[in-house]
Amino acid sequence: MSRRAELWTGAAVLVLLAVAALAVPLLGPDPDATDYANRLAAPSPSHPLGTDQAGRDVLARAAAGVPTSLGAAVVVTAVSAAVGLLVGVTAAVAGGWVDTVLSRVVDVVLAVPQLVLALAVVGVLGPGLTNLVVAMALAGWAPLARYARTFAAGLLHRPYVVAAELAGVARPVAALRHVVPATAGGVAAVATLGLGEVVLGLAGLSFLGLGVAPPTAEWGQMVAESTTVAGQAPWLVVVPGALIVLSVAGASLLGDALAREAP
Amino acid sequence: MRGPSRRIAQAAVTLVGAAVLVWSLQLLAPGDPARRVLVANGVGNPTPTQVAALRAELGLDEPAPVRLGRWLLAAATGDLGRSWRSGAPVAAELADRLPATLRLAAVALGFALLLAVPLALIAQHRRADLAARGLVFLGAAVPSFVVGTLLLEVVVVRLGIGRVLADGSWGGAVLPAVPLALAAAAVWARVLRAAMLEVRARRHVQVARARGAGRLRVLLVHVLPGASPPLFTAIGMTVGSLLAGAAVVETIFTWPGVGPYLVEAIVARDVPVVQGTVLLGVLAYVVANTLADLAAAAVDPGRAR
Repeated sequence: MSRRAELWTGAAVLVLLAVAALAVPLLGPDPDATDYANRLAAPSPSHPLGTDQAGRDVLARAAAGVPTSLGAAVVVTAVSAAVGLLVGVTAAVAGGWVDTVLSRVVDVVLAVPQLVLALAVVGVLGPGLTNLVVAMALAGWAPLARYARTFAAGLLHRPYVVAAELAGVARPVAALRHVVPATAGGVAAVATLGLGEVVLGLAGLSFLGLGVAPPTAEWGQMVAESTTVAGQAPWLVVVPGALIVLSVAGASLLGDALAREAP
Repeated sequence: MRGPSRRIAQAAVTLVGAAVLVWSLQLLAPGDPARRVLVANGVGNPTPTQVAALRAELGLDEPAPVRLGRWLLAAATGDLGRSWRSGAPVAAELADRLPATLRLAAVALGFALLLAVPLALIAQHRRADLAARGLVFLGAAVPSFVVGTLLLEVVVVRLGIGRVLADGSWGGAVLPAVPLALAAAAVWARVLRAAMLEVRARRHVQVARARGAGRLRVLLVHVLPGASPPLFTAIGMTVGSLLAGAAVVETIFTWPGVGPYLVEAIVARDVPVVQGTVLLGVLAYVVANTLADLAAAAVDPGRAR
C-alpha cells in the first residue's frame, strides 16, 4: 500500500470505531440491560452479534467498549506523548546537568518493561480504569522522551534555530517556538505507532480484573467475563478480540504512515 | 573498563536504579498502608492504637530513605521482606512458584524460535512475503488472552484435547506456551525478516550467490548469522514482557507460577509481594538484555561500541 493509502485506511478504521461508539447507542439497546431469559443467544436480527452470559446485547457492549478500551488507550498515548515531548525537549535544550539527570531517569524507567511497570503502579494505586490509565502513562512516556531528546538535539544545530538565537531570541523562547513544534510531529508519529501496544496492554490488564469495574463494558473485561462459556458462545470472545485487532491494525497503519512522513 | 565488563557494570547500575524506582512507587499510594493491611486482614475498623502498632512492626515510621536503603540491602542478599497478607517471606513464596514459570517460559521461547526463524526465511521469497507479513501482524495484534481463552475453552474443554488443570509440568506447559509463543514469534520474525533483507544486499552475499551457492544455502549460511544480532536484542526484550504475559496466560490456565501470585497481590495491594515479584522481573529483563548485547557483540564485533 502506498503511504497515502495506509494513512487514510488507518485513520478510517479508527474513525469508524469512534462513529460506531456514538451511533450504536442511539439505535440499539442499553449495553448494561440484562435479560437472563435470553442469555447466550446466537447472533440474530434482534441481536446482530448475539447476547452474553447475562443476556446483554453484545453489539451494544462492543460499542460501549470503544471509549473504555480504545479511548483510554488514546488518552494514555496522548499523555505519554505530551510528557515525553516536554521532558525530551527540556533535556535537549537545557543540556548540562539537567540533561544528565533527565536522561538517567529515562534510562531507569526504560529498564523496567512497560507492562511490568504498569502492573507495579496498579499494585500500589489499586485497580480501576483511572489508575490503569495513570499506570500505563507513567510507564509509557520514557521511550518517547528519549526519542524527543535525540530529535530536538539534532534540531538545535539547524540554521533556523541558530539564526533565531543569534537574532537575540532567548533560548527557552526559541525552543518553544522552533524546536517544540518540529519535534511534536515526530513524537506524535512514534506515539501512534505505540498505540496498538497500549490497546493490547490495557485490554490485557483489564482482562486480569485490574481495570473497569463491572458492569461497565470494556473489551478485555468482556472476554474475562465470558471465559467459562467461550466453548458454547465463542462470539463472546471473538467480537471483542476482533475489535482489538482492528484497533491495533488501524493504529499501526496510521503510525507507519506518519512515521515515514516525519523527517 | 571496556567491552563485556563495561556492559556488565552498566547493567548493575541500571538494576539498582530500577530497584529504587520499583520501591519508590509505593510512595504514590494514597492512605496509610498499615490501615490497609489491617482492613485486608479482616479488621473492619482499626483503632489508632492497632494502626500505630502495625506501623511500628512494619517499620513504616522510619523516613523513606532509611526504609529504601534497608530494603535494597536486604534485596541484595535475597531477602524481599514478608507478605502483608500471609506474613511469609516473599522470596520463599516466589521460589515455590518460579520453577513452573521458568518451565512455561522455556517452552514458549522454544516454540517462538521454531516459528520465527522459518517464517523469516519464508518471507525472503518475494511471493510469500505478503502472507508471512500478514501472519506476523495477526500474531502481534491478536491478544494473548483471546488466544488462551479460545484454546482452553474450545480445544481443551470442548474437544477434550490436553488438560484443563495445569499442573506446572513440562507436558502441561505445551498449551499455555502457545499464546506466549505467538506474540513473541511475531516480533522476532518481523525483526529477523528486516535484518535478513538488509544483509542480503551486502557484498559477501552477492559474492556467494555469484559463486553459485544455492538459494537456501545463501540464506542459512551467509545471511542468517549476519542477521542474528537484532534477533538477539529482540529476544532479550521479550524476556522483559514475559512476566506481564505470564500474568495473563498463567491466570487463564491456572498455571501455578509467578503470574497469578502477582495478580492476587496487586488486587490485595500486598506491596512487598508486588515489589519483590516486579524486582525479579526487572532482574530477568536486565540480565537478558545484557546477555543479548554480549551475544550480539560476539557474533558481530563491528556492532560493539
